Amino acid sequence: MSYLIPCPHCGQRDVGEFRFGGEKGSRPTNPDQLNASQWAHYTYDRKNVMGMQTEWWYHRGGCRQWFLATRSTITNIVEKTWLP
Amino acid sequence: MSRLSTPPSSTLVNRSKPLVFEYNGRRIDACEGDTVASALMASGVDILSRSFKYHRPRGHLCGEGHCPNCMMNVDGSPNVRICSEKVCNGMVVKHQNAIPSPEFDLLAITQKFDFLMPAGFYYKIFHKPRFMWPVFEHFIRKVAGLGVVDGKTPPYRYERQHLRADVVVVGGGPSGLSAALGAAEAGASVTLVEQDSFLGGHFRFQNPESSGFKKVLELEKQVRAKSNIRVLTGAVAFGLYEGNMLGVVQGRRTVRIRAKRVVVASGILERPFVFGNNDLPGIMLGRAVQRLLNLYGVQPGKRAVVVGSNDRALDVAADLLHAGVEVAAYADQRERINDSLESVKLLKSKGVALLPATTAVSADGKMHIRSVTLGPVAGRGENIRLDCDLLVLSVGGDPAIHLVQQGGARGFFEEHRVEFIAKRLGEGHFVAGDSNGVHHEDSILLDGRRAGLAAAQGLGSVDHAAEIADLESRLSANPAVVLNPKTMVAPDGSGKRFVCVCEDVTEKDVCDAIREGFDGIETLKRYSTVSMGPCQGKMCQMSAIGICARETNRTIEETGSTVSRPPFIPITLGALTGRNYHPHKTVPTHSRHAALNAKVISLGDWLRPEMYSNPAEESRAVHERVGLIDVSTLGRIDLRGTDVVKLLDKVYINSWGNLKVGRTRYGVMCDDTGIVFDDGTCARLGDQHYFMTTTTSGVDGVYQWLTSWMAGTSLDVCVTNVTSGYGGVNIAGPRAKEVLGKLTSLNLDSKEFPYMGCVQGQVAGVPCILFRIGFVGELGYEVHFPSFYGEYMWDVIMDAGKEFDIRPFGVETQRILRLQKSHIIIGQDTDAITNPLEANLAWAVKFDKPDFIGRRAIFEAKKQGIKKSLVGFVTRHGEVPEEGTQVMENGYSVGRVTSARFSPHLNKSIGLAWVPTARAKDGQPILIRSKGEWVIADVVTHPFYDPEGARMKG
Ligand code: FES
Ligand SMILES: [Zn+2]
Repeated sequence: MSYLIPCPHCGQRDVGEFRFGGEKGSRPTNPDQLNASQWAHYTYDRKNVMGMQTEWWYHRGGCRQWFLATRSTITNIVEKTWLP
Repeated sequence: MSRLSTPPSSTLVNRSKPLVFEYNGRRIDACEGDTVASALMASGVDILSRSFKYHRPRGHLCGEGHCPNCMMNVDGSPNVRICSEKVCNGMVVKHQNAIPSPEFDLLAITQKFDFLMPAGFYYKIFHKPRFMWPVFEHFIRKVAGLGVVDGKTPPYRYERQHLRADVVVVGGGPSGLSAALGAAEAGASVTLVEQDSFLGGHFRFQNPESSGFKKVLELEKQVRAKSNIRVLTGAVAFGLYEGNMLGVVQGRRTVRIRAKRVVVASGILERPFVFGNNDLPGIMLGRAVQRLLNLYGVQPGKRAVVVGSNDRALDVAADLLHAGVEVAAYADQRERINDSLESVKLLKSKGVALLPATTAVSADGKMHIRSVTLGPVAGRGENIRLDCDLLVLSVGGDPAIHLVQQGGARGFFEEHRVEFIAKRLGEGHFVAGDSNGVHHEDSILLDGRRAGLAAAQGLGSVDHAAEIADLESRLSANPAVVLNPKTMVAPDGSGKRFVCVCEDVTEKDVCDAIREGFDGIETLKRYSTVSMGPCQGKMCQMSAIGICARETNRTIEETGSTVSRPPFIPITLGALTGRNYHPHKTVPTHSRHAALNAKVISLGDWLRPEMYSNPAEESRAVHERVGLIDVSTLGRIDLRGTDVVKLLDKVYINSWGNLKVGRTRYGVMCDDTGIVFDDGTCARLGDQHYFMTTTTSGVDGVYQWLTSWMAGTSLDVCVTNVTSGYGGVNIAGPRAKEVLGKLTSLNLDSKEFPYMGCVQGQVAGVPCILFRIGFVGELGYEVHFPSFYGEYMWDVIMDAGKEFDIRPFGVETQRILRLQKSHIIIGQDTDAITNPLEANLAWAVKFDKPDFIGRRAIFEAKKQGIKKSLVGFVTRHGEVPEEGTQVMENGYSVGRVTSARFSPHLNKSIGLAWVPTARAKDGQPILIRSKGEWVIADVVTHPFYDPEGARMKG
């Protein structure tokens, strides 16, 4: 892994400076109404798309901010990044 | 073989600077600038190694650091290509893979058993009968293979370097130099990476009178004069990775270069040719011969036959004549030889027989070539046999497109040029010169400049589109030069016909494998091992593809090629890892521990005092009087804002709204799968101001966790990681209050400042945050102060404690004290599947909160019932089981020990262990298997020391 990620604050940096935060998803707002398998789906199942994916990144070697990015899981090219 | 009497002006060797080194115990004279190979050849050593399987003698072949023939052990490093290794005074060089020597190798007996090693023998022979395999394996390991790593050689130091460049040009030959100049003139910062120790590529080792030689000298001068070109020689780009990152190895240094654009001008890899006994010493590739003559002034033979397929071959023949070597014949695989060339005129004037449409069919000789049989390319007609001690093969080569292929490009086979051309290049990648299939002398330079300008487009301020277009039209006007013959295989001829010299795979082996059904190029490779040797197919891939295509009646394009992956050349593990740096953080009181001669240990990133005297003495001080421990390594997070309670209620399983100002609380964090991942205390300093402590190693993760739940929300909380801003100590023991009382006017009365209370105030004039907590089980004050007061605070507290005989205590004593209280350490006593209910933290889980991270999953765990529990134990006979050992029942592992220590105060060996919940009752016996011994212990479900907590609360 040696691709570059343009941090919205710091600009192009090596991927090693960042922590991957996983696919963008949202936490259910009504946990109590979900059955166990629905909850397991939220905690364990990922789309794992082949192609463009929106995901969280954290710039630990820089501004220490969370941001969102769209990245191709095939080429690792990061299309764009933005603040939530 | 000997030195030329007068070296050519192009020589790299300084004959007035003698050097000596040792080869197999023998003294070899060399000169500055020599490679080990050139010095050995000048001294008459021509058998450099024995082959992989058959132990056939092998000599100088490619001369460019690719083929396996010249691998030796140099100063303890195995598998060094000595053709590219400069001589240093006093070097110790040894042969490999031959007993006792390459000249006389007993293992050559394996040739007699070649019937045992057909294609795919790995899969057929030696593993039956099964019990014989270890015997065979032992022998095969001895006989086959490469150099041996000698464990006694001291490790070399490897370095790592990081560079940036607008444009990296890989290859310092004519096209690479032109590309670098072009890009530099266009304003780009350029790094030029060249494998050889010199610049100029194959033009540089042509005859010094040639136009190519003069051109690269001039180009080199211009490149060296440019301040925006950095030149790395002796450096190989072994990988082109994502984000245009190039891995380069330069001796014992790995250089990572981040480039905006990459120009690959890495030339060609010269091909050998398949014919009978084509591996005999004395058979060399044309470029190896030119290097020996023109760079090292070494005469590779006395009487040569040259087999070529292009005009470069004629130059090699001419160079041999210039060096006084007799050329017995020049055979060319082409139908016609161009009479108008200077080289042809020279050959004719010297009476060299020119044989068009002719190729080598077989060679003869035992330890060195003695004669060669030439025959018509078409296969029909008369053969002639010529005596010679040197056979030069100059039959073309393959564009070195490995790097751009790694970068995503594909090789497309060009039928008329018989080579793979890289197309569909990755973004920002360019190919130039020989490696781009451009072989005409002028075109090579033009194509380099074209690529250099194109690579710099958009980086500087000037647009070079017009010049690029002009260069393109001039390139298309120049004639296309074809280097390669149609076939890489002689029509017939006797003797072993090697395709792959690395792995000793012959044409017959390849054909057998295809006949057995392995006719795809990738499966053929794996089964026959062709192209799986140290050169990774650089010498043999094209012949293998050619034979595969011929045997399966397919075109080369249909047959395809194998995938190119990094590294392009073999690199040592040392070069990959580099030097190991392990920085430490020290606590603000560090100098005091050093002065007290504390035993310091490395815990995570930190250096911490483990012990000052011994746990018995230290723990006695804490229990009976007072002790002092540094707790600076605790994580600290400051939280303020109107939504701070909302945030805490979300991330902790506990409740926070009901915590009064001036109180602190133990808190546990889980993730949404209900797994405990950190704990600590969190104090309410003000209505909307909290101060959180975390585990030492957990603080970064907790900070990221908190901010991740805030990202994209409108929560009004300011979260600041203040860990390094504070130092901290814990004053613990029955006399702690008296010690602290001497230093502060704060009211320490238990009503004002009770257990789990917190205050902010001055201690010895320093503004501090104080907590009354009891991690070690006695009355204790955790004092956090601005970190630069560390040494001062340590000194005043130690001073104030003198009259109470205060003792510093280390991490080891703290571990015993906390274990006596059954206080768990997250990550040691819990693991990646521990939920709070199992870890005796059920009391902290506030299901009455509508939601928190982990609630749903912990609720589910509760519903399903708890099956394992963390309990304390006392061993019956005082053994201290190793941490991590198993709790056994009926021969099965049912749990494990997570912590265990001998407690000097209790005079018992105690610990924590996971056991089945049914066993989690006081007095239940458990059986632990530790260090091969059985240990019986009894379960204890309450703290071992002061179960009511009267001492820490009092
Ligand atoms: S010749 Fe090196 S792998 Fe075949
Ligand atoms: Zn940043």
